[in-house]
Amino acid sequence: MITQQGVKDFLQTGGYIADDAIATAVFLALRMEKPILIEGPPGVGKTGLAKALSSALDFPLVRLQCYEGIDEGKALYDWEYGKQLLYTQLLRTQLDGYLSVSADLREAVERLASEESLFFSKNFLVQRPILRSFLSEKRSLLLIDEIDRSDDEFEALLLECLSDFQVSIPELGVIEAKRKPLTILTSNGTRMISDALRRRCLYLYIGYPELEREVAIVRVKFPELCEVLAGQMVGFLRKARELNLRKPPSVSETLDWAQVLTIMKATELTSEIVANTVGVIAKHQTDILKVTDLARQELG
Amino acid sequence: MERIIARFVAALRESGIRVSPGETLDAVQALALGGMEGRKLSRQLLRLTMVKNHNDIPLFNDIFNRFFSRFKPDEGEDDHRGPTDLPLVNMEGEFSYLDQLQHDDHDEPGPLLKFHGDMDPEDLQELKSLTEIDPDDSDGQEIIVQMKGYRGKAKAPRPTRRYTQNPLTMEINKSTGVQRGITFSPEEQAAMQDVVARMMLRLRKDMRRMKNDQSRGKLHVIKTIRKNYRNDMIPFQVALRRKRREKPRLVVLCDVSFSVSHASRFMLLLLHTLHNQMLNVRSFIFNREVAEITEMLANMPVNDLMETIDKGDIVDPDENSSFGTVFLNFKSRYLENIRGRPAFIILGDGRNNYGEANDWVLDELREKARYILWLTPEERETWSRGDCLMETYGSYCDKVEVVKTVEELGQVVEELLRDIYADQAHPLDRKLLRETKAAEAAQSSNYQDYYTRGSGSGSQPAFDPGGRSHW
Repeated sequence: MITQQGVKDFLQTGGYIADDAIATAVFLALRMEKPILIEGPPGVGKTGLAKALSSALDFPLVRLQCYEGIDEGKALYDWEYGKQLLYTQLLRTQLDGYLSVSADLREAVERLASEESLFFSKNFLVQRPILRSFLSEKRSLLLIDEIDRSDDEFEALLLECLSDFQVSIPELGVIEAKRKPLTILTSNGTRMISDALRRRCLYLYIGYPELEREVAIVRVKFPELCEVLAGQMVGFLRKARELNLRKPPSVSETLDWAQVLTIMKATELTSEIVANTVGVIAKHQTDILKVTDLARQELG
Repeated sequence: MERIIARFVAALRESGIRVSPGETLDAVQALALGGMEGRKLSRQLLRLTMVKNHNDIPLFNDIFNRFFSRFKPDEGEDDHRGPTDLPLVNMEGEFSYLDQLQHDDHDEPGPLLKFHGDMDPEDLQELKSLTEIDPDDSDGQEIIVQMKGYRGKAKAPRPTRRYTQNPLTMEINKSTGVQRGITFSPEEQAAMQDVVARMMLRLRKDMRRMKNDQSRGKLHVIKTIRKNYRNDMIPFQVALRRKRREKPRLVVLCDVSFSVSHASRFMLLLLHTLHNQMLNVRSFIFNREVAEITEMLANMPVNDLMETIDKGDIVDPDENSSFGTVFLNFKSRYLENIRGRPAFIILGDGRNNYGEANDWVLDELREKARYILWLTPEERETWSRGDCLMETYGSYCDKVEVVKTVEELGQVVEELLRDIYADQAHPLDRKLLRETKAAEAAQSSNYQDYYTRGSGSGSQPAFDPGGRSHW
């Protein structure tokens, strides 16, 4: 029996510091077997959560990266036409013999029709990520990344998969998931996701973490960084996020910066250090100016 | 428990959060699984299962607090107000001042809707200053009264974004409020339809030439093999990949303040007619606030929409336009969601009422936009006079057009559509288009009746019932 605290603990062993909301969402998703839709600004650890879960729960990670124009041939399944053609070519002589037994044309057609399923069997089916995760023997973790990049049609396609965990293939019928995968959808909110899809998911919004949690994240990833410095840099970045920057520094930037400071063996945050490493946290010229200004004000 | 949840769901629905029966069942199941120790946990469980939109979270929190404080008035209050919890609460976009309003307006769903994710910081400031009027007044009664007055008098309750987009609730709102402002008479609408229909005809004629563009693309290997299987794999017939043909995307920002109201009304009407036919339009209106009206444009009769705008349900019509604020809000709320390099049309006079210019936002807009067109009713000489920032803003745009009549506006939009289509067309078609355009320009003198050049001396406005084509 898993509890919320249990989820928090095993995520921590996977190197992911979760807050209550995240832990509860994961707990519910595991118990209710429902997908989670995660929204939030880029770089706050949406994909990271999926990765940490996959390693902590030992579920194989099946990742589907969405993009504009993705379709069922890329996400669910496809027929291997080349292989089908090759087989029919090679079996031609066999077929001649098989069909020559029949008395007339009608019988020949019937004979052939009875074997039709040979050519649309799982043998010729290419499993794409969603089907692969459904058919996996072990319970897997299906990560549908950046769903907002796909088109509306693809979203509609997902509805069946996500609510019933099944895939309908016209030639084969309905294929149900052997083990329902733990499904995580992420979105950066560049497009509104339809309500139909939202309804089928648990909704989790991950924002920027609060001070203690962010410090804890830094400490877990870079234990050699001294705690005072970690607190300083996180505090500085939190102020920078309020500057109305074009690309506010996210948790991923915090971690990059922590790595840089570790390599530089810095012990204290000064405006000079900020000026030298500003490229790690600010990604636009105008942002760089604002951040260095802030450093001068805050750190002297 | 089920009954309490059902009543809670009813309360949520009443306030505009849509909760489906399936989600209600999920919530009950989640509560059974997660246990109900602690208010915070229950709130999280309910929120995870019932709220599917980030913008609704603050509203949900608010309703949760009210609803369950009514049932258990003395339990767990400090749970969510505890100082350790505060940073988390703030992070989730909840406003701490909501706590101060806890017992305000129990039975009026209207003002409750005021709270949504990105409230005007000014409002926040004002609300805060109101609470500071009398800091040692312990019972807070007077403050609440003042706030009520503030909301009723100075500002109409501003609904959540989803709420404004819902035609049904608009319908309900319609019964209250005063009639005023501009609507279109049936004749005007008919005339408008006519103008647009002719425009469509002209455009369609050009578009037809581009139809072959549909299947011009890379070789589709699998389809080609399948097609030529009967020919023993000799590719007599070639199958090409279909190119995805998308409707051109357009983003329109319309100033609806008094100075340009006629122009923007016409623009909206034009878009209303064009929408879905050949365009993918996202429309916004602004004066001091900016709000999206795309869905309303698509779903509501045009006169109802005009009334709604005039009544100030979307943006307050009495405010002066402030382009700086609008740009800033537009950037923070919508710019991220704009997809696919659309063309921007901004309609306004650029009179900023001496506010902050914030023209750097336009610079960012340029990166997202295929094309920026600014339409202003003012002549070039006045662009830098007074509070007009047209010169500043204009420098960021690809084109600034002075439009004074309805015909001019129609032409400008048609020209733009033509350009957008041409931009997406196949190179061959583009050449064709360019040739026809050149040919048209060559004989434009005898084209007067077919393609009226607005500034031309002899052209009579085709659409001017009520003499409104000049503003």
